[in-house]
Amino acid sequence: MPQNQDLYDAVVNGDAKKARAATQAALDASTPPMELISESMVPAMDEVGRLFEAEEYFVPELLLAGRAMKNAMELLRPLMIASGQKFSARVVIGTVKGDLHDIGKNIVASMLEGGGFEVIDLGADVPPEKFVSAVEENKPQVVCMSALLTVTMPAMRTTIDALKSAGLRDRVKVLIGGAPVTTEYAREIGADGYSENASGAVSLVKSLLPAA
Amino acid sequence: MRLKAIVCQVMSREVEFVAPRSPHSVEIEVLTMGLHDLGAGMHSHLQARIDASDAGGYHAILLGYGLCGRGTEGLCARSTPLVLPRAHDCIGILMGGHRNYQAYFEGHPGVYYRSPGWIEFQSPDQSLQPAMTAMKQTLGERRTREELIAQYGEENGSYLFEQFTAYRRHYSGLTYISTGVPSDDDCRSLARAEAEREAWAFEEVRGSLALLERMMAGDWDPEKFLLVPPGATVRAALSDDVVTTS
Repeated sequence: MPQNQDLYDAVVNGDAKKARAATQAALDASTPPMELISESMVPAMDEVGRLFEAEEYFVPELLLAGRAMKNAMELLRPLMIASGQKFSARVVIGTVKGDLHDIGKNIVASMLEGGGFEVIDLGADVPPEKFVSAVEENKPQVVCMSALLTVTMPAMRTTIDALKSAGLRDRVKVLIGGAPVTTEYAREIGADGYSENASGAVSLVKSLLPAA
Repeated sequence: MRLKAIVCQVMSREVEFVAPRSPHSVEIEVLTMGLHDLGAGMHSHLQARIDASDAGGYHAILLGYGLCGRGTEGLCARSTPLVLPRAHDCIGILMGGHRNYQAYFEGHPGVYYRSPGWIEFQSPDQSLQPAMTAMKQTLGERRTREELIAQYGEENGSYLFEQFTAYRRHYSGLTYISTGVPSDDDCRSLARAEAEREAWAFEEVRGSLALLERMMAGDWDPEKFLLVPPGATVRAALSDDVVTTS
């Protein structure tokens, strides 16, 4: 299947309008939505991740690429749902209780979306019970939590404990991130993984899911 | 005792206020506010100042810092003990202890904190730390709308500015920690004006200089302070201890 160069370039260059236009043009030409995701958006997102790792891209470029992917997804999502096509997995994401920082969480959410996942974003300052009900309702395969303060990091543990009490912990993979979070902390609180940055988060989600 | 205090500018007025009351000789070195924005990069700035003081023959080096998003993790001195308050950040220190902060924090979600130092040093002296300006530029978080538009174009620049300032809309209140330093009244007025401008509820809490007084006085109760022996390293504990050594 060919890559749609216009869509790929628009995402890598963070051009939301062009991403939308390229997606619409491809749909008009009867390109299947899933093909646009897997052949153009996922590789574009990989490239954005590579540029970030190489320190050629920084937070602004990630935000812009994320918005371009979101714009394309707004056109693709309804078509995929209507045609009964499945996303590779469903992810519930949020910043934990007491913490209002959400730029990093938003970047991860949009990169996951661009990576072909269905993302349910609960926002910031999300109490454990809201994570629990979102898992009950949406039956995601993955839960991602973010915290930027060492004061709010314990809420990640509380949320994992709440998932355990609700009998849901074994049904989901729990991933954590945020500036003060570490792999050791993930281990300590019983999370399944930690990523230092957004592109790593996407790879981590993929690696934790059973191969399709 | 001869003590060296390396302190963040954000609490420099408070430290300058309590240090003369210490029975010990305290030499104060103030580092620019906002090093926490560097994340793990904060560590090297602090470590360099500790290293410069390590051979000074001090009985201890006092650190006017908290865990600061793990910015103080990994600090060590080869031949001088380090003393670090058990606190997540300056808010905990200025409230007299991290438990006071935790209790307030839990009852007041969505609050933005200000103290005299947060008002006075809001625009830290960037010339002190050239690395900080560069770091902020790459993250883009401190740039004005105009600067972002100049680099990313009208549409993308405006979007980025919105994203970088959106956090302010999530807050519902501003809490001013009064510490009794000479600039307190002026800073309170400015904090109140900021709250009004943002349509945030204004609240004042009485801070406490007790932790800083004890630190300067050499009253290092291990429940309140982490004592780092020479050669040992500061570690985050993420329990009620906040910090530990390894």
